[in-house]
Amino acid sequence: MSLPQSEALRASPPAGLAPRVELGAVPFHVQEDFLCGPAALAMVFNAAGAPGDVASLTPQVYLPGRKGSLQAEMLGATRRNGLVAWRVAPRLEALLAEIAAGNPAVVLLNLGPRLFPVWHYAVVVGYDLEAGEVILRSGRRERVVYSLGFFEFLWRDADHWAMLALAPGRIPATAGEADFGAAVVALERIGRLREARTAYRALLARWPESLAGLIGLGNTEYALGDPAAAERAFRRAVVAHPGVAPAHNNLAHALAALGRMEEAEAAARRAVALGGPMLAEAEKTLQAILARRAAAPAGRGTTP
Amino acid sequence: MKLSLVRFISRILVVCMILSPLHAGAGLIGTDQVLAAGEAAAARERIATILERAEVARQLQAWGLAPDAAKVRANALTDSEVIELAGKLDALPAGADSTGAVLLILAVVLVWWLFFSK
Repeated sequence: MSLPQSEALRASPPAGLAPRVELGAVPFHVQEDFLCGPAALAMVFNAAGAPGDVASLTPQVYLPGRKGSLQAEMLGATRRNGLVAWRVAPRLEALLAEIAAGNPAVVLLNLGPRLFPVWHYAVVVGYDLEAGEVILRSGRRERVVYSLGFFEFLWRDADHWAMLALAPGRIPATAGEADFGAAVVALERIGRLREARTAYRALLARWPESLAGLIGLGNTEYALGDPAAAERAFRRAVVAHPGVAPAHNNLAHALAALGRMEEAEAAARRAVALGGPMLAEAEKTLQAILARRAAAPAGRGTTP
Repeated sequence: MKLSLVRFISRILVVCMILSPLHAGAGLIGTDQVLAAGEAAAARERIATILERAEVARQLQAWGLAPDAAKVRANALTDSEVIELAGKLDALPAGADSTGAVLLILAVVLVWWLFFSK
């Protein structure tokens, strides 16, 4: 039986990884039968500063017909609660790096044989490299210790699945611009605009030219009623990504909302000139701006 | 005098313009669309995803959720999660764990080992 990840970790521990970490402040929520999903989420939500317990989270993630919780729905429920849901890379090393950074992780384990799996969510809250151990909150036990090898054994049938639930503004230690950007976009998509805006700001603090960050910040600012802030974000977007037509399109909208119609028209024309799959949207934007300018040119009275 | 009146009216017009976004039909392009635009994404793919999402909601209902809850939960998923999920709700892992199940499996394995393994 080969357990390559834990073997590699013991053979050469990653430089800079703290030898021992335990996130003792992560609260424990005991699970009832079949409700390890809600219990695990409750623990990481509370750790991220968000409310939640088994009772409130069960209707968000438990699927009665399957008597359990699907992985994708664990991510979805996280977003619905205004937290960034982020998949850890399927590697023990990445998981431990996140724990070391203070981010407890929900993991999916198979507690049964491969052919008759018994799927189970637990929360990893610590590890000890020297002792070769992982510390979890699991089921009815607040503190469970597995050897790294045994943990990997339980984890591998789940394709080493792990997720974080992060307070907006917090970036995972092992995140890249693209995957973290996608996680924030997912939060914006379901309408958690304030949290998404905070997360986009954090994204941009780390990756100042991120297209996801600049468009996302602009879109959330606009939706939250601040076209001036939206204009600043979209302006940065067209400077960093001049060939991206939607950046010019959205800039045109922000400018129009600020009454700067001449600039708005220029931006819309640039979007149209760039073409691409969003050409139809850009053309509609330009038409709307031209119509507005024709109807109420500066200095004249209103149209009848 | 006239100039200041004209300026006053202009300011009112500007305020009115801020309060009313551009004409219906013209909108900002969503962040997810901007990021997807690089791939071969077209209106067709987006429609497919909308249909898949409705399908996932239907399947969640089949597995015991009320229609409203099914819709809300399907909407919390990303496009790629929806595509991954659609049609596979019965097969994908559902984390549950009950002590009962573990014992049952151990019991089955034990019985097999005692009586069937040679």
